Amino acid sequence: MATSVKTSEYAAELSRAGADVGGRWSAALFLARRYPLGAIGAAIMLVFVFAAVFAEFLTVHDPLSTNSALSLAHPDAHYWMGADNFGRDVYSRIVYGARISLAVGIGSTALGCLFGVALGLLSGYLSGWVDLLIQRIIDILQALPLLVLALVMAAALGPSLQNVIIAIAIPLIPYVARVIRANTLALRELPFVEAARATGMSDMRIALRHVLPNTLAPLIVLATAQLGSAILVEASLSFLGLGIPEPYPSWGRMLSESAAEYVRTAPWLVIFPGIAISLLVFGTNLLGDALRDILDPRQRT
Amino acid sequence: MAGYLARRSLLMLLTLFGISVIIFTLLRIVPGNVVDILFDAAGFVDPADKAKLEADLGLDKSIPMQYAAWIGGLAHGDLGYSYVSEKPALKEILPRIPITARLAGMALVFSILLGVPLGVISAVKQNTWLDYALRLVSLSGLSLPAFWLGLLILMAFVASTDTIPIYSAAPKSFWDALLMYSVPAAAVGFRSSALVMRLTRSSMLEVLRQDYIRTARSKGASENSINYRHALRNAMLPVVTVIGIEAAFLIGGLIVTETVFNIPGVARFLVEAIRWRDYPIVQNLVMFVAVIVVAVNFLVDMLYAVLDPRIRYGD
Amino acid sequence: MTRNFRFAAAAAALLIGAIASGSAFAQKYGGILKMYHRDSPASASIHEEATFSTNVPFMGVFNNLVMYKQDVAQNSIDSIVPDLATSWSWNAEHTKLTFKLREGVKWHDGKPFTSKDVKCTFDLLQGKSQDKFRKNPRKAWYDNVSDVTPNGDFEVSFNLKRPQPALIALLASGYTPIYPCHVSAAEMRTHPIGTGPFKFVEFKTNESIKLTRNKDYWKKGRPYLDGIEYTIIPNRSTAMLAFVAGKFDVSFPTNLSVALVKEVKKQAPQAVCKIEPTNVNTNLIVNRDAPPFNNPDIRKAMALAIDRKAFVDILFEGHAGIGGAMLPPPEGKWGLTPEILKTIPGYGPDVKANREEARKLMQKAGYGPDKRLKVKISTRNIPVYRDPAVILIDQLKDIYIDGELDVVETANWFSKVARKDYAVGLNLTGNAVDDPDQAFYENYACNSERNYTHYCNKDLEKLFDQQSMEPDHAKRQKIVWEIDKQLQEDVARPIIYHAREGSCWQPYVKGMVVMVNSTYNGFRYEDVWLDK
Repeated sequence: MATSVKTSEYAAELSRAGADVGGRWSAALFLARRYPLGAIGAAIMLVFVFAAVFAEFLTVHDPLSTNSALSLAHPDAHYWMGADNFGRDVYSRIVYGARISLAVGIGSTALGCLFGVALGLLSGYLSGWVDLLIQRIIDILQALPLLVLALVMAAALGPSLQNVIIAIAIPLIPYVARVIRANTLALRELPFVEAARATGMSDMRIALRHVLPNTLAPLIVLATAQLGSAILVEASLSFLGLGIPEPYPSWGRMLSESAAEYVRTAPWLVIFPGIAISLLVFGTNLLGDALRDILDPRQRT
Repeated sequence: MAGYLARRSLLMLLTLFGISVIIFTLLRIVPGNVVDILFDAAGFVDPADKAKLEADLGLDKSIPMQYAAWIGGLAHGDLGYSYVSEKPALKEILPRIPITARLAGMALVFSILLGVPLGVISAVKQNTWLDYALRLVSLSGLSLPAFWLGLLILMAFVASTDTIPIYSAAPKSFWDALLMYSVPAAAVGFRSSALVMRLTRSSMLEVLRQDYIRTARSKGASENSINYRHALRNAMLPVVTVIGIEAAFLIGGLIVTETVFNIPGVARFLVEAIRWRDYPIVQNLVMFVAVIVVAVNFLVDMLYAVLDPRIRYGD
Repeated sequence: MTRNFRFAAAAAALLIGAIASGSAFAQKYGGILKMYHRDSPASASIHEEATFSTNVPFMGVFNNLVMYKQDVAQNSIDSIVPDLATSWSWNAEHTKLTFKLREGVKWHDGKPFTSKDVKCTFDLLQGKSQDKFRKNPRKAWYDNVSDVTPNGDFEVSFNLKRPQPALIALLASGYTPIYPCHVSAAEMRTHPIGTGPFKFVEFKTNESIKLTRNKDYWKKGRPYLDGIEYTIIPNRSTAMLAFVAGKFDVSFPTNLSVALVKEVKKQAPQAVCKIEPTNVNTNLIVNRDAPPFNNPDIRKAMALAIDRKAFVDILFEGHAGIGGAMLPPPEGKWGLTPEILKTIPGYGPDVKANREEARKLMQKAGYGPDKRLKVKISTRNIPVYRDPAVILIDQLKDIYIDGELDVVETANWFSKVARKDYAVGLNLTGNAVDDPDQAFYENYACNSERNYTHYCNKDLEKLFDQQSMEPDHAKRQKIVWEIDKQLQEDVARPIIYHAREGSCWQPYVKGMVVMVNSTYNGFRYEDVWLDK
């Protein structure tokens, strides 16, 4: 079976490297030791995911409730990362903001990958005029810079969580589609695909059951890279005022509203949201690099 | 080669045509247009005045007709009139281009000046602590939001000196002018320099493993000259690639940096025009950006052919 | 002996006059005032715009017929002084207002100013001329003017359909400059020509606005400044940092929140800052024609549930006004006094009792702790709109209303409101002039475009006219109070608070006066000078 070809190859390589490959856990630990930076990246991402999922348990104060008496409070035992000019707890807003950033990042990446894979598969497998048409669509979508297209879409669709996800997903589609298409073109010629066709399998089944699983490796690498971009674009959009609207706390918007105005008395307003964005994207980049080394050694950086 | 060029040109034109249609339609099918915004600034909507203004601006015609008017105008070099300022769109856009071009150019120069040497060092000293440190720095360059970096720089300047490197049409001294250009360029270029560094490193590593380096070594060439002559020339290939990819990212960085440093360039203008739904400005600017990206990608492909003898187009 | 004594007396009087008029001999000429602007004005034509984004930079280019004295902080009919008109008089019935005009005034392009220019301006405003404004937000101000007739080159009369003594208050506003006949309305949007202390130099969209001194200004000795430069910086953080770093002499007027003023004082302790009411109030527009707010009980419940003091504490650190439709005293001349306010439902200090009453009304309407009312609170996607909306949602939870924030892009706001596609919206209303003739007609008259909720009370409108025709201030005041009280009790447009904002400037900027009951009338800047 095509899917088990890859995993058995990995098992072979791992055992050659001297690992005691008794199950998935030890394989994971082995990988972690071999790619420490990747492990750190994964750990960072897990921390943020954990924060996003369990936000209610990790915070004491409501991120939205205001308290004028504590406006611009210093970080202390009460407000761990200080308070903003409305007296809202910055720490809570960072933790809940993780939810938004991850939701938008993962949502738009997933959406972009979904359509990108569909287009790439169709284009690579079917060829002919379908391929030409889809390639033009990809060209068009890719000729516009990510932020510009996202800006226009966000302005066009209006401010809401769903619209921002769509707005960021669309520019991601061409990147994914290109990679999947290239892979599909290569895989299409392989013997096992010929064999499947000879047995009378329908094109769609072949595409989904044989071709797609073998494009997973570059797809995962690409998706992790795009996740970082998506999070940065969301932050930029929110900073420019065209991103996630109230009441969701968005790290990018936290940096646009009144953050640098209070630089002398409350520098934490600028520092913490920025660190949050950078750290999360840093984590995805570390993980992405490691995944690329593992899954697609041709692209090693 | 001629065949390839012809085909490529046709494809580029098709792409640009597709973009123009998409951006044009997108702007017009969504609710709310410039007249709504203009009237919002006036605090009310008088239906009769609104209808008249829409007719004046040509917004009441069907979308295909408006598109034909725009494309027809483009053929004569008439980009239409800005809805808000009522000046010709060309007059609004043209003076802003050199400002952004200067910023982008300096950012690219900065990214190459910083990225290439660091990438080479990182490759040559592979897997040492220096390599790890540089790789972490470059990864952070890819992770920092450009606007945050800009804000931090501004805050640092205000906190420590008397100056602030935001744009001013008449800088007071040479030092002010220098800061005004170089600081935002560094802020924008930091991310690109990280990418250049990573790619330089990887391609250097790749090339260092190549056979012909071994051959050169066996011929007795010194270690240094091997590193910095043979390898570097071949390592430039992916760097050229990155310029192509980065053209897209750079524009995003330019948009937020121009906003933070208050530079009256084309990128910030685009954001404002989108907010105002000033269609003539938005559609022309977006097309301009698209033309640049398409042209840069074309140039990069051509440069590829020059740099790598294995790649030749057209047959 | 007597002649010497007379000389001495005259000299003494002169000296005393000079000292009494303050620093009459201390003003310095020269220098360019640098200010940052918060956004790019839609156009340079004051008559076509309705935000102070246009007024602040361009009021210095023009003169009115009459104007509010620029160094008196509170605008009132008593502070109206001559501008292009040297004197004015009413006929006995207050239906004809005649102005004698100043002679020898020149437009910035050299042409002479005459009464024809006044007629041209008001014909444009009333839509009577060939040339048309693109937008005419204050057309309704002159509904009562049947025509404007010149009498020779230096006299003009306004003929009114019914008495309106307060018309002069509208003419004194920064929104009522006089335009020249010989320049088209379109040209005034991009290159305005006026008679004022400053000449227009350039307006680079999104970048800067430059004005220069009018050397031939008819008021001798003014202006003191060589020019004014506005740099447009939309990003607030950047603007603030630049002001603190000393790049600008003045902040954009009334652009700094109370918290920000504190911050500026910390970073630039030598700056002079003033926090004053802007006569912009935050209110709720309620859709009376659709559920759930077509039910008067639910409307009243919402009005009762508002804890105004909480808004003021959170958003303004206690510095904001609570009142009715008119700006509350002492800064406002017509606002309801605290004694009257206390009697209006919802304004009483006992928030708990108010909310208890509100809950009873909700229960009467069929809602309760198990059956909560879901409602969309619509507002614009700008912080000054969003922030109070967030607080409102928090407060309405107490009376079984679960509000959901519906953020609307600027481009879609007014169409949405016009379509009545909302249940309740959080709105800001700016009053150009502290006068009931402006506030009531614009926002509460049955067929006014700005009466978004279409609140229509014909009996009350008769009172609008009655107060408008009343020349005696005390009598007019009583009618105004009666109207205002009725509007609040009817829950026409619940007023939450009257905002206060700060303006800061470097200490060497002199002659800056921040108006306390308007944010549209104080930007002529002909008395401002730089002490450096």
